[in-house]
Amino acid sequence: MPVSKRNTSSSRPIRSILLSQQTGLLLVIAALGAVLTLCANKTVGGEQVNTFFNPSTLLQTATDASLFAIMAVGATVVIISGGIDLSVGSIYALAGVTMAMVLRSLGEMSPEMTVLAGLTVALGVGLLSGLVNGALVVGLRVHPFIITLGAMWVLRGIAFVTSKAESILVPSSLTETVKASLGLGETLSPIPMLTMFFVTLLGAIFLSKMVVGRHIFALGGNVEASRYAGLRLGRVQIAVFAVAGLTAGIAAFIGSSYYGAASCADATGYELYVIASAVVGGASLQGGKGSAVSAMLGALLITLIRQSITTLELNQNYEWIIIGCAIIIAVVLDQASSRLTAKRLAQSASDNKLDDTPSPEGAKTAV
Amino acid sequence: MAGKPIVEFERITKRFPGILALNEVSVAIQSGSCHGLVGENGAGKSTLGKILAGIYPYDSGRLLVDGKPVRFSSPLDALKAGIGIVHQELAFCENMTVAENLCLEHLPSYGPFVSRQKMIDRAKKLLAAIDADIDVRLLVGQLPISQQQIIQIAAAVGRGARVIIFDEPTSSLSQLEAERLFALIKRLQGQGVTSIYVSHRLPELFALCDTMTVLRDGRHVATKPTAELDENSLVEMMIGRRLEEYFPTYLEAEPGEEMLRVENFSSPGKFKDISFSLKAGEILGLAGLVGAGRTEIAQALFGLDNMASGRVTVAGKQVRIDSPSKAIKLGLGLVPEDRKRHGLVLSMSACSNMTLPILHRLSRFGWIRNRAERSLADTFFQRMKVRAPGVDALIAGLSGGNQQKVVLAKWLSAQCRILILDEPTRGVDVGAKAEIHALIDQLAREGAAVLLISSELPEVLNLSTRVLVLRHGKIVGELPRNQADQETVMRLMAGIGSAQMADSAASKPELQ
Repeated sequence: MPVSKRNTSSSRPIRSILLSQQTGLLLVIAALGAVLTLCANKTVGGEQVNTFFNPSTLLQTATDASLFAIMAVGATVVIISGGIDLSVGSIYALAGVTMAMVLRSLGEMSPEMTVLAGLTVALGVGLLSGLVNGALVVGLRVHPFIITLGAMWVLRGIAFVTSKAESILVPSSLTETVKASLGLGETLSPIPMLTMFFVTLLGAIFLSKMVVGRHIFALGGNVEASRYAGLRLGRVQIAVFAVAGLTAGIAAFIGSSYYGAASCADATGYELYVIASAVVGGASLQGGKGSAVSAMLGALLITLIRQSITTLELNQNYEWIIIGCAIIIAVVLDQASSRLTAKRLAQSASDNKLDDTPSPEGAKTAV
Repeated sequence: MAGKPIVEFERITKRFPGILALNEVSVAIQSGSCHGLVGENGAGKSTLGKILAGIYPYDSGRLLVDGKPVRFSSPLDALKAGIGIVHQELAFCENMTVAENLCLEHLPSYGPFVSRQKMIDRAKKLLAAIDADIDVRLLVGQLPISQQQIIQIAAAVGRGARVIIFDEPTSSLSQLEAERLFALIKRLQGQGVTSIYVSHRLPELFALCDTMTVLRDGRHVATKPTAELDENSLVEMMIGRRLEEYFPTYLEAEPGEEMLRVENFSSPGKFKDISFSLKAGEILGLAGLVGAGRTEIAQALFGLDNMASGRVTVAGKQVRIDSPSKAIKLGLGLVPEDRKRHGLVLSMSACSNMTLPILHRLSRFGWIRNRAERSLADTFFQRMKVRAPGVDALIAGLSGGNQQKVVLAKWLSAQCRILILDEPTRGVDVGAKAEIHALIDQLAREGAAVLLISSELPEVLNLSTRVLVLRHGKIVGELPRNQADQETVMRLMAGIGSAQMADSAASKPELQ
């Protein structure tokens, strides 16, 4: 019976670490939201309005976050495996441009067919680019940083050449689909936000419930031990980059459709926002640690910080400085809180141990 | 020999995440003595040493050096008070030379430029002070661990250390290297240096120390002169119960069919023309000094050496093992020498570590069947007596012995028929060690074929049905159990037949 007691005391800390990390992020997001709500109360023409806490602004913030968040789920998967992907912004651009060009050349089709074709092309290009990244990393045995740094320019270059640097219009049926209000009201379009939730959910399931997901954690936690355990590391690495490419493809579909056009300059610099989101969400660049839900929350937080510059009517020129500082502060706070949690756990665990000191005899009988 | 205490621990307490590592420990170390700190893994002996060396701060209590209370905030602090440590993980800058490392704290210079000659001279002088002969221009990373230790000792002595803590110094030394280290420790003692020797290798402790302190579960058990102790009483104090047997009783049994045959197995620069056969129910011991190629053979058999060539036959079929996954499919399992680097993913749970190689068997269409995974883990954790808060506990929080049981459980749950065990009890406490020995014996009785590699001769000699002796990557002897005694094997390992060697072997107390 000492077993059952220990059981509860041990699984609780693990869960509470995960919980505290995500609840911490949620609390920060909620607090920032509350501050913005308070500061955004204004009287316009004798009428009380809130320029932040209204359905349209909130949903717009979620929509802005969705592109980062979708790709951040992919980035978190790569980061957990111990890698990094700098090319997702370029994959986004290539996928968007290819989709727009293919749809243009296909000409007039039914709305359903257009959406289906658009999805296939965007996701296909994303997945393919990711597979190529992964195959190069594995085949050439070059660090992912280098391969994806190269891919970042090559893929955007392909998008530039094929689109001849034009902005290409996307069929209106795509825009209508992605901007569908789903009965919420004329100006509201929740599809990007819902896609973000859906992709995050898929990512979370992928990482926690699937064999590949477990292998990704193992690879990032200890490459050598994973090799000794007989894992096919090459396959796992390729899978990781494929997932990242796929999420970039999904984001490209949503983004290009939403804005109604695709160009080779789309999503420039997104890779850094995306990596920042994953890292703010607690993913460790050393590998072995991270979560899809936290990556999404990280993306939401970063978007909210950008939003607050508008809402608080701060000088737009300071956006980069504020975001840069916010990322560093967020990561430092995350590290401090996990150290604090570890300390508290240590305290309680050793307190437990005092009245339950295991002895060699205990080892024989207990368990 | 007994002087006044140079170091006194008074009610020292130290907590780590999940563990009360030291619980009000009080010990006095006499000046000029060689003081053994003994205990199972996790008993707190290393922690006590590291607190004295300034690596860890203590939570409460008092630490006195020369009667004055001190609180070190870094190893450098401790060194200024005359306390040095020789410790494997306290690394050097491996990309720099011996001379640079020895002078790193204060590089001799002309203005802003490092003076290479002065640096080399000073390093040579430091090494000469302890009669060591090492080329100071070599990179530290190229030197064997035994020589790196000597450099640590030189650095400590050179900076005026009067107390040197040796933290498990022999854990990766060969027998001969260890002997040389012991001679050096004795010489230092002659120069008035106090040694604190942290180990769980009893023969060494008896050979070196004049006083021993036993710790158990973070508590002080006893401090006694070595003359008043013998191995049995010491082991009893360490584990707190009477020791009935060290090794399982050996049962002569007919080996079964041949499971593994290796012919002319070679890998350039590592080993050459290795041939042997391993039958079901057999434990084949691989003895040899560090660097004789034991681990390399194990790795090559497990598909980790793509330069290896030769004929390998598993269960009658000739095979080419070019990856661990292939090896696992053929029923091989490897418990690696370096548990933390090769055996475990420390960021994952005990259960995930155990099921890592067989996750595909516990899944359907790529989905992990949680219940199947957990029940398998529960079964094996019970069978292996893994002492863990639960199967979901982080592996990093378990003791060395329990971690090793998880590594073993990994291959047992994978239903391996051929087990390669590379130092299966390294860094494992006495209690868990006996359990692992019993388990290895039981596995063989159940028909597994075991290849056992160990630097501890008693382990190889007592468990194996046959012993292969390796030297410089070649087999130099194959001895059946009844002919494999410590002296013969050691001579073969060292490649000498001198009486001197036999003497030093005989003078070491037997482990049994």
